[in-house]
Amino acid sequence: MASIAAAQVQEVRSITRIERIGAHSHIRGLGLDDSLEPRAVSQGMVGQKMARKAAGVVLQMIREGKIAGRAVLLAGQPGTGKTAIAMGLAQALGPDTPFTSMAGSEIYSLEMSKTEALTQAIRKSIGIRIKEESEIIEGEVVEVVIERAAGTGGARVGRLTLKTTDMETNYDMGTKMIDSLLKEKVQAGDVITIDKATGKINKLGRSFARARDYDATGQQARFVQCPEGELQKRKEVVHTVTLHEVDVINSRTHGFLALFSGDTGEIKSEIREQINSKVAEWREEGKAEMIPGVLFVDEAHMLDIECFSFLNRALESETAPIVIMATNRGITRIRGTNYKSPHGIPLDLLDRMIIVPTSPYSHQELKEILNIRCEEEDCQMSADALTVLTRVATETSLRYAIQLITTASLVAKRRKASEVSMEDVKKVYSLFLDEHRSEQFLKEYQDEFMFDDGAGDAPQLMEVTQ
Amino acid sequence: MSYKNLIWYKSLLSAEKSCLKDDKIKKVHYKFEDGREMVEEYNVDTQVLLRRAWKVRGKLGGEGKWHVEVGDPIPDATPSNDVADIIESKDQPVLSRRNTRINLEWRIRNLPYPIETYSIKVDNENKCIVISTTNKKYYKKLEVPELERINLSLEQTNVQASHNFNTLIITYKKPQKLLDMEKEWYEELKKVKPIKDIPSDCKTQ
Repeated sequence: MASIAAAQVQEVRSITRIERIGAHSHIRGLGLDDSLEPRAVSQGMVGQKMARKAAGVVLQMIREGKIAGRAVLLAGQPGTGKTAIAMGLAQALGPDTPFTSMAGSEIYSLEMSKTEALTQAIRKSIGIRIKEESEIIEGEVVEVVIERAAGTGGARVGRLTLKTTDMETNYDMGTKMIDSLLKEKVQAGDVITIDKATGKINKLGRSFARARDYDATGQQARFVQCPEGELQKRKEVVHTVTLHEVDVINSRTHGFLALFSGDTGEIKSEIREQINSKVAEWREEGKAEMIPGVLFVDEAHMLDIECFSFLNRALESETAPIVIMATNRGITRIRGTNYKSPHGIPLDLLDRMIIVPTSPYSHQELKEILNIRCEEEDCQMSADALTVLTRVATETSLRYAIQLITTASLVAKRRKASEVSMEDVKKVYSLFLDEHRSEQFLKEYQDEFMFDDGAGDAPQLMEVTQ
Repeated sequence: MSYKNLIWYKSLLSAEKSCLKDDKIKKVHYKFEDGREMVEEYNVDTQVLLRRAWKVRGKLGGEGKWHVEVGDPIPDATPSNDVADIIESKDQPVLSRRNTRINLEWRIRNLPYPIETYSIKVDNENKCIVISTTNKKYYKKLEVPELERINLSLEQTNVQASHNFNTLIITYKKPQKLLDMEKEWYEELKKVKPIKDIPSDCKTQ
């Protein structure tokens, strides 16, 4: 019994290690009901009802998959949930729809040109569902053994024993496979399949032979027959790959030259054309199905005029994904030109977009968001502390207030309290400056800092260098 | 000479062939009309087929891998990291094919159980030889592509097995038709002129 408990503790630990808490990890969807009406607080989303409703319509458009090459612009002040809406959309679409997320500045690389980076991002956002014969291991789990190699930080080694009614085999596993086994909570008595090429694990159910230890299984456990014959079989499996992955498979240099050339870098346009015609052929024969996905470009004002005109053209192709951009800029200079335009995006591209505005959160909504974040960051907060934090959020920014959650809970922990009180929030508020107070401070002590030219017009300076 | 009308024999004849001679080994590369690729290696002295491998390409394209039908597996020169990290343990049974002049032969190493454990049955419905064990530790279906190609069915009387040094050896006596065809085909291969300048093997010693 003790060993089972120990195994479970181990399991929990390794899962928390995989999933860290990010800025948007509390978002699990768009928070819409079946008729795509936004609920006030749902799936981690709060307020922003109009924008979410609009995203719901976009979601429907993507799901139907008929319309190619539309662009959506999420525009709004910083901290009004633009990225959150995009993340929620990705979650609502599910794991089968390709969703590529990039920041506008990611395209500036020395390794490849801007248009190549954009093309790759576009092709990463289009999936193909295709049937392929694959090596499958199918059997009942006899034993899973995972142990750490000697020494600290030693790699984990795992052994998996599988059987059918006719045979039994031991397998050695690497760290990736161990992680996915733990994630799927595979244990002795489960009947599983493993795709040898991709390492994907599928739990078919529990073996009938294990039906007696009923208390160890959940109520919804499905019982299946132990497979027969050989453990390894060749089976037709449906894969979802992106166009970019197919490009990479076909452009990789092989033999010993592969050692000298990296896998990334530019892909020749001939290869892309070849693959496009091949995919078209598969679709005609009914062998493959195309799944148009979403390309999300955050900080879209960081793209320059070349990228915008490239996008204009790329959106016209029928294999283009839905492009969602987000920006927090108002009327500003288009990067790479001296012209000004709304959101820093040229008018001709803006004309092809549907624009979804996000507006600042109300007091009540801020409180709700902070409450959700407290839960996500595993932090007990007293009611008055939350009120103070909401005040902080209204007066400074929501991001700053969220920063204070974990810091305040650490302060509370130090005085061995289980709940964060108002004093803890006040303490971290004085320990860490927000942007506004920091600016105040700089203005006061400007003369004593290094390289100060006395102009004191920092915002204007930024405008020039941009 | 009934084998001359077989699809297999005709496809061998029509395939684009090139040949290399490396010491005592004759290597022949076939490119079939349907795009498939095959390589055969013969011992020049004994005329025995040492290795036969097929190029297997994924549906999505790419270089593909060599799948060895007969002979020892080809060691992977550049082990790639993107293969899933689950493999049979080193101590698990390994199957390899090695034909002799008169027999088709399968060797399964790392099988410690005594000879009485195994039952080796011919299954003509699925065109394979089935090995099963009474202790339910090993089970394998052996395909016999050589016989399938010349449309011969399997016969239990041709199967023999022996067990020694943890290795189970299963032999199947080559039928006369197969022997005739192989002999004839070796003669036919002599017509393919070996390429003179063999690409250097980059021997570093």
